[in-house]
Amino acid sequence: MAEIVAAALAAHAPLITGKPEIARPEQRERLYAGFHEMRRRLAAARPDLLVMFVNDHLQNFPYSNLPAFCVGLVDAYDAPSPGGSTLMRIPPRKIPGAPTWGMALLEAGLAGGFDFAYSYEIESWDELSVPLHFLNPDGDIPVATVYTNCAAPPLPTLRRCHEMGAFVGRFARSHRGASRVAFVATGGISHWVGTPETGRINPEWDHWVIDHIERGDVEPLLRLTWDEIERDGGNGGQEIRNWVALMGAVPGWKGESLAYEPVPEWITGCGTVWVHA
Amino acid sequence: MIAVSYPLNKILTGLARAHLTREKLSDAELAGHDLSDAERSALLAGDIRRLYDLGANPYLIRRVFRPRFPI
Repeated sequence: MAEIVAAALAAHAPLITGKPEIARPEQRERLYAGFHEMRRRLAAARPDLLVMFVNDHLQNFPYSNLPAFCVGLVDAYDAPSPGGSTLMRIPPRKIPGAPTWGMALLEAGLAGGFDFAYSYEIESWDELSVPLHFLNPDGDIPVATVYTNCAAPPLPTLRRCHEMGAFVGRFARSHRGASRVAFVATGGISHWVGTPETGRINPEWDHWVIDHIERGDVEPLLRLTWDEIERDGGNGGQEIRNWVALMGAVPGWKGESLAYEPVPEWITGCGTVWVHA
Repeated sequence: MIAVSYPLNKILTGLARAHLTREKLSDAELAGHDLSDAERSALLAGDIRRLYDLGANPYLIRRVFRPRFPI
């Protein structure tokens, strides 16, 4: 049995750490302050496992093999790899994975109606490296990952992502492989990457998402279609699937926005939200 | 229906994984790929809007045609 000791949501973007100097200083410092407060609260919660809801950006899963949901069974994550280190300007390092916990989740899923894919080798990009740079600076808390396809449509529905997160939440509480579990989801909020609208951010939609998380009112999020998110949140906004999965893992919990900044230089609506009972 | 072109995404994935960036592709780079005429001309022109409309994944467009993006 495990206790869920913390839950947090954060945007990821390689430029958050890769090109801090191009952002307006006041925006950068407010966002960094949000990450630092999140780190302070996470450390106080003393988790012995971080379960992370994240997504690939086609660096792992190509169009010849695209899982909707994939459990990472990696011994240690490059967070970042030497190559990614150059882009994200974070020193290359390894963060321990939790393959035994992941295998147990995988088996429980197959027995319980969630046919996760799995991978022993995952190249992590900003979805892990950037938030973990702030949240797990010493790299001493093991990380378990659940990757959801947010980048290569057609994508799983938000309702299904929420159900998947709820399953992971129930599993985490019942499994003996960890005693103090923290959930972290990364991605979003609005951003357009590689589309004709690249660089657009929609703060109005971002606030709408955050407001619903703060109220714990996820049902309107679960009704969002791919088209609606593409229109209002961009292709990067599809990553709120990870946020929705986390909200499924902690039913009844509510968000508390720590920082929100639409940073055009990082082409991302950047949010950090603490989630609590 | 979401537009997805496997031939476009396959060729762009190969370039992205080799960490190659381009303004536009060359005939030599298209050799051996099963592309439509529209896909070929969009790749040869580096027309990122057209590639998007034809079903190339925007994350791959961004990685390969990075010099085309002002931001």
